[in-house]
Amino acid sequence: MTQPTNGSLLQPDYVPGEPVERHFADADLVWTDDEQKQIATFRSEYPTNDGAVMKVLWMAQNKFSWLPPDVIQFVANTIEVPYAKVYGVATFYTQYFKEKKGKFVLDICTCFGCQVCGGYDILHYLEEKLGIEKGQTTDDGLFTIQEAECLGACGSAPMLQVTNGPYVHNLTKEKVDGLIVDLKADKMPGFQSVTLPQDETDLGGNRRSDTEAVTEYQTPPVSETIH
Amino acid sequence: MPQVIIDGHAHEFEAGERLLQFCLDRGIEVPHFCYHPALSVPANCRQCLVKAGLPARDRASGELVKDENGNPVTNYFPKLQTSCSLDLADGMVVHTQYDSEEVSGAQADNLELMLINHPLDCPICDQAGQCPLQIQAYKYGPEGSRFEFEKVHKPKRVQLGPNVVLDAERCINCTRCTRFTTEVSKSHQLSIIGRGDKNYPMTAPGQEFDDPYSMNVTDICPVGALTEDYFRFKARVWEMSHTPSISDFGGKGINVDYWVRDNQILRITPRENLSVNEFWMPDAARLVYQRYNENRPKGPSIGGKASDWDAAYDEAASLLKAANGKVLFLGSAYATVEDNYLLMKLAEAIGSEAPQYISHVEAGSGDDWLISDDRAPNTQGCERLDINPVDPVLLKAKLSEGEIQVLYVLEDDPIAAGVLSAEDLSGVKVILHHYHTTNETLFCADAALPAAMCVETIGTYVNEAGRAQRLRPAKMIRLMNRSLMREAGVGQSRTDRHGTPFDRWFDEGNQIDCKPGWESIPAIAERVGLTLSYKSPAAIMDEVALTLPAFGGATHKAMDLLGVGLEDIGEVV
Repeated sequence: MTQPTNGSLLQPDYVPGEPVERHFADADLVWTDDEQKQIATFRSEYPTNDGAVMKVLWMAQNKFSWLPPDVIQFVANTIEVPYAKVYGVATFYTQYFKEKKGKFVLDICTCFGCQVCGGYDILHYLEEKLGIEKGQTTDDGLFTIQEAECLGACGSAPMLQVTNGPYVHNLTKEKVDGLIVDLKADKMPGFQSVTLPQDETDLGGNRRSDTEAVTEYQTPPVSETIH
Repeated sequence: MPQVIIDGHAHEFEAGERLLQFCLDRGIEVPHFCYHPALSVPANCRQCLVKAGLPARDRASGELVKDENGNPVTNYFPKLQTSCSLDLADGMVVHTQYDSEEVSGAQADNLELMLINHPLDCPICDQAGQCPLQIQAYKYGPEGSRFEFEKVHKPKRVQLGPNVVLDAERCINCTRCTRFTTEVSKSHQLSIIGRGDKNYPMTAPGQEFDDPYSMNVTDICPVGALTEDYFRFKARVWEMSHTPSISDFGGKGINVDYWVRDNQILRITPRENLSVNEFWMPDAARLVYQRYNENRPKGPSIGGKASDWDAAYDEAASLLKAANGKVLFLGSAYATVEDNYLLMKLAEAIGSEAPQYISHVEAGSGDDWLISDDRAPNTQGCERLDINPVDPVLLKAKLSEGEIQVLYVLEDDPIAAGVLSAEDLSGVKVILHHYHTTNETLFCADAALPAAMCVETIGTYVNEAGRAQRLRPAKMIRLMNRSLMREAGVGQSRTDRHGTPFDRWFDEGNQIDCKPGWESIPAIAERVGLTLSYKSPAAIMDEVALTLPAFGGATHKAMDLLGVGLEDIGEVV
């Protein structure tokens, strides 16, 4: 969700028609040949260019690390879709970063399932550990903490997601400490398949055939602060 | 014909029709917000829910299934359906809110949800009184809200572009505005941004909503989220009369409503006419509203000195008589067919050459939609009367040779139009019917007769596609010819319809002392010995329609609200 950056709820982030701050020079806003080929492939996959909006925005975010208005306009021009439409798509999805974030964005789930299992405990622990509040980025530019709604892994609550990527399940404070150490060493957690109780007998423990990394289902904890 | 049964009544329909529009066409009201007949159907407001089903058929035999009483069994769709997107099918059974408590309950719940974050600022909202959300909340909504918490706050007073202001808190995200810019005007300038309860329509950063048709989104906005900048807080809608008429902005003949309070035009909105402008009009055609109120003359004048009407008529008549037929009559593409027709009769009686008109076509100034190259509304009307465009070179030559002693100008401004200069007119007597005190020919006029503008008269404009359309008086003029107005059966201004000279919206000071051409031209004609006694402009048009094939069938009665398409007379200049 875009939070107002100007501190007022009653004013939009920008005034229509007024020039907005640029974050990238024109010289930086170019695609490589490989990227252009990839974009051409995306466009050919859909009947209209509208279909390629999300994939090209995603490419742009991976390339530029975030999506300021000048990058969104660059994407719009690239695939010949109206700028306003692309901007509407970009602001709809929280996974597109409209603000500059840290290298690792930690989305801690505090929706109902994780909340009762200690989602807020983990969130507050991280806030204290990194010395920032949710929505903020550490001074070294490494970590951003965000509160997230349900990420669909309630069976392994509490959990978090690292930069729109891998999930870290069954969080404990020790596990968070380890994660931060790993991330500081630039070591991303790998994908983990979490088994479900019924899988243990029926499927030999693993529902997924494409991964070796399996975390056994464990009974989730109860929040320290919610009773 | 296939049939659909709505609330127990059978209706025949044609394949391809959808339920909501079908109901609306038959006067069955189903509440809705996001649906608009000219736009795509996203079914996102969820307000037009109905219960619908199809007759049950036996799978094997295909026979209709009957219950024990022999009545056909209906298989209802498991959930209520949005009627806007529901294709009609033969035998379909529909229950609207009139027939089903389930439906009326669902509609009330939907309205309650919609109103959760809607500010109840109707007392200061410009849309109040003509607001689909307000009306439908009264008719179909819950009695109150159960929502006890602070509403979501969103941007207010956002100047989206030069002409449109957004109040995002009022927005119900029906997407009519974004669909308009995407599908109709194709400027693609608006998009819904954000998500959840914090989304609202907006331009992209750095972009302005400067679409030349931008204000149409304020007409289709079902709440007060998008409002016209020029009209904000000017008047409540119930203080104004609105008169269906024709815009004099350009040759397209855009159908409009003129909104009047205190005898001043405050607002112009498009009126639906699928043969002309559909539901739309350009911003420029609305922003001319001051034209009808400001710089208007205060009565006739002779040689620059104020006079009364009789003296001005006498002066004009004596100038015409003294000219021995050396008169050039300039008709006008701004005047009605009726007035130009009377001018032709007058020219004939004087024995001068046939009237000509000043062309206001500016090539390249229009677009391929509702802005015409032709700046004047009735060029076709003149052409069909065989009044031809004046040739400035020829006219100047004639003037310098003294072949013209009197120039009679009907509702136009030859100097501003660049046809003549003030020097050309030295030594020539000028009779001028004018709209504005800013008319540049006015100071050359020996007899100046203020003329009623299109919002004050009755008459006919023919648009560039050859459609004859009728003007109705939206505001009153001083010394109004009420018997004629009544005779026409349409000439009801706000005071006629709603008030008296004693109500608080009656303002005599804003009544312009002017005359419609069909009153002033016969008055001059009478003084030169020509009787042009018509009971009303309708009678003039009856004669025109009867005697001139180019106007066949274009009586006032036939034109009514939507006009009459005239037979093609071939290419005109």
